[in-house]
Amino acid sequence: MASKTLLVAQREYLDNVRTKTFWLGILAFPAIFALAIGIGWVMNKTKAQQPYAVLDLTESGLGTRIEANARANDRIASLRRFASEQGVPEAKLAPLDAIDLTDPATLLLQLRDLEGAVTAEADPQQTARFERMVESLAAKYRFEPLAALGAEHGSAAEREQVLREHVRSGRLFAYFVLAGDPVADATQLGYVSNNLTDNALSEWYGGAATRVVRKLRLAAAQIAPETARHIQESIHFRPRRVAADGSLEDVKDEQKANKFAPVVFVYLLWIAVFTAAQMLLTNTVEEKSNRIIEVLLSSVSPGQLMAGKIWGIGATGLTLILSWAVCGLVGVHFGVQAVPKLAEWNLAEIVGDPLYLTSFVGYFLSGYLLFAAILVAIGSVCNSLKEAQNLLQPVFLLLMIPLFAMIPVVQEPNGLMARVFTYIPLYTPFAMMNRASGPPPAWEYAATTVLILFSVWFAFKAAGRIFRVGVLMTGNPPRLKEILSWLRAS
Amino acid sequence: MDHALTLHGVTKRFGSFTAVSDLSLEVPKGCIYGFLGQNGAGKTTTIRMVMSIFHPDAGTISVLGHPDAGEVKDRLGYLPEEKGLYKKMKTAEIVAYFGKLKGMDRSTANQRARELLTRFGLGDWLDKKCEAMSKGMGQKVQVLGTIIHDPELVILDEPFSGLDPVNRDTMRDIILDMKRQGRTVIFSTHGMEQAEQLCDFVMMIHKAKLQFAGSLAQVRQGRDLGIQLDYDGDGRVLQQLPGARRVNDHGKHAEIFLQSGQDPQQALRWLVDHVRVRRFDYREPSLHEIFVRTVEEADARLAATGGLR
Repeated sequence: MASKTLLVAQREYLDNVRTKTFWLGILAFPAIFALAIGIGWVMNKTKAQQPYAVLDLTESGLGTRIEANARANDRIASLRRFASEQGVPEAKLAPLDAIDLTDPATLLLQLRDLEGAVTAEADPQQTARFERMVESLAAKYRFEPLAALGAEHGSAAEREQVLREHVRSGRLFAYFVLAGDPVADATQLGYVSNNLTDNALSEWYGGAATRVVRKLRLAAAQIAPETARHIQESIHFRPRRVAADGSLEDVKDEQKANKFAPVVFVYLLWIAVFTAAQMLLTNTVEEKSNRIIEVLLSSVSPGQLMAGKIWGIGATGLTLILSWAVCGLVGVHFGVQAVPKLAEWNLAEIVGDPLYLTSFVGYFLSGYLLFAAILVAIGSVCNSLKEAQNLLQPVFLLLMIPLFAMIPVVQEPNGLMARVFTYIPLYTPFAMMNRASGPPPAWEYAATTVLILFSVWFAFKAAGRIFRVGVLMTGNPPRLKEILSWLRAS
Repeated sequence: MDHALTLHGVTKRFGSFTAVSDLSLEVPKGCIYGFLGQNGAGKTTTIRMVMSIFHPDAGTISVLGHPDAGEVKDRLGYLPEEKGLYKKMKTAEIVAYFGKLKGMDRSTANQRARELLTRFGLGDWLDKKCEAMSKGMGQKVQVLGTIIHDPELVILDEPFSGLDPVNRDTMRDIILDMKRQGRTVIFSTHGMEQAEQLCDFVMMIHKAKLQFAGSLAQVRQGRDLGIQLDYDGDGRVLQQLPGARRVNDHGKHAEIFLQSGQDPQQALRWLVDHVRVRRFDYREPSLHEIFVRTVEEADARLAATGGLR
């Protein structure tokens, strides 16, 4: 008898897996995912260079200092990043503190010397990469000298008029106006641009201006640079966690990645469960509407048919997940080669983590079986996909909730909300997957396993009763009252 | 005599609606048995009960000697009224699939599916998808799926509906072939000619109730004889035939019943004067006539008794 269930399952599986659309759908997901990341990256890379001008009306020629500071700051950021990536000791960067960031005459020279010293020991390939990093940062904003813009001579108002025209025509992204003595009173500064949403340039330039003005004010107040640095120091708390043996250990980026990994898994789980359950629904309605169901029922029992369909499509879902896992591992493999930083996150380790992997497959199966039972029951009472869609809406909304709860649960994997969700059978698989970074105590794993097995058993029993009657019905879908009476009938 | 199917006092209700009422029937082994009745009369419900898709509210059914068709599913073949196939499956695959569901082993089912399809003119379609086929071909594929496992009892619900004459002949040949092999065939139909030509036995059900059942001869027995007339001319004049009680005019053919005591010879003379007579026959009524008359009489009885079922 069981072999008939197997036959049905086998047919369902082959029917799905053999179609081109199935494989297109499977590959489309990672492809779209990669594309989305790629587009963001490309857009960031190809963001148009923003040309700007500075109308410097200060007597001290503050604009030159600000410009030099802004550029130097970019180089320092690149240098620090390079040093941390290459494991250059902090001490090597100590001379940075001695450089006067407000003196354009010495600033860049000193900085270049230091860069030379730091990169000298690195391998040439890495040094070249550092050069590219510096260049790409420098190319982000282009300083246009007033002479090139024809705003060199004339009264302040005339020159600003010229710059205004350039902003209007699009030659300039923006211009800054430095007037009065910003060191004494910084109220006469202006930023003119027609782009109201992209504030990056104004923040970048403003940051440099702040640093320069602050430095000059400290000097004017005759505060020693050491004192000033001391006062301005930001306070950091060193993040650590309690390790299994009770000692303290530093928190690394990779552990954060680990912490958020379940979010990705829950999302994938959700898509997989929903895709498979949806397939099952479409397929049941189709079988019912093209009447093949009656032929099948003359050969197999409704229970065998239902079980066969659910297992067959479950296997299809597993194929889907396996394909994604392969895509993910291949993606990580090539991703690490392209972006070495990724290697530190141990993505392959997360993807291949036995706890995550077994939970994922286990929770996919249990979540799928639960929703499959609901959807196959819905499918069996509907005569058309349109009818089914209407009934599906509430189920879909129910299924959305774990997605909304995902972030709060991952932040507090053993908190109240996480626990509440864990014990609502429909959400158990999602919630437990979500909490995997905790991870929850073993007894919770045991309790939820019992809960979910019982729920699946119950859902199958109920769905079987509805399916048996519903699948042969034609005409209007039954009322809830009728369905309840089928459930009560043994 | 050994029976392939026995129904005893079978009743099926859907809510307040009675689909089949107190139906008793015996289908001998090795015969072709026709189920007649109007749309909604209860034929399909009866068939579904026989197939254990529905369970009767009262009465007993015995299929191939078993009280539940579920026990002998693999020895039955069933073609439902509304026919469907998996569109994306290849024809040979789907026929073999039905065979496997009936317990045939994989290789036998595959081989036999290809054999059958080739024998019935679908050799070019073995590896084509069902969605590409015409309705007639699809129906043929379904029938082959029904008989691939050599069932002892085959139940075909409206096997002729929607078929062109050539495909009707193929279907007829399949049915006769099965009878020759000693299998029992039950089919339901609206086509009285097919029933008359093919069936050893017929039964008629009307508004859930059995009206008659038996061999064609038994069903015809005792019914008044009628004139079977082939003619050319204006058929309206036939209505004026003196002594005629009932005239079913089909344009070129008419079935005429006379009032009792009227002489068919007289009628012939009158007819010769009014139309060109090509054939004149005085014999038992056609199944068509019996069917129509049964419906009329049953409805009249129901109207007289209040009409509630």
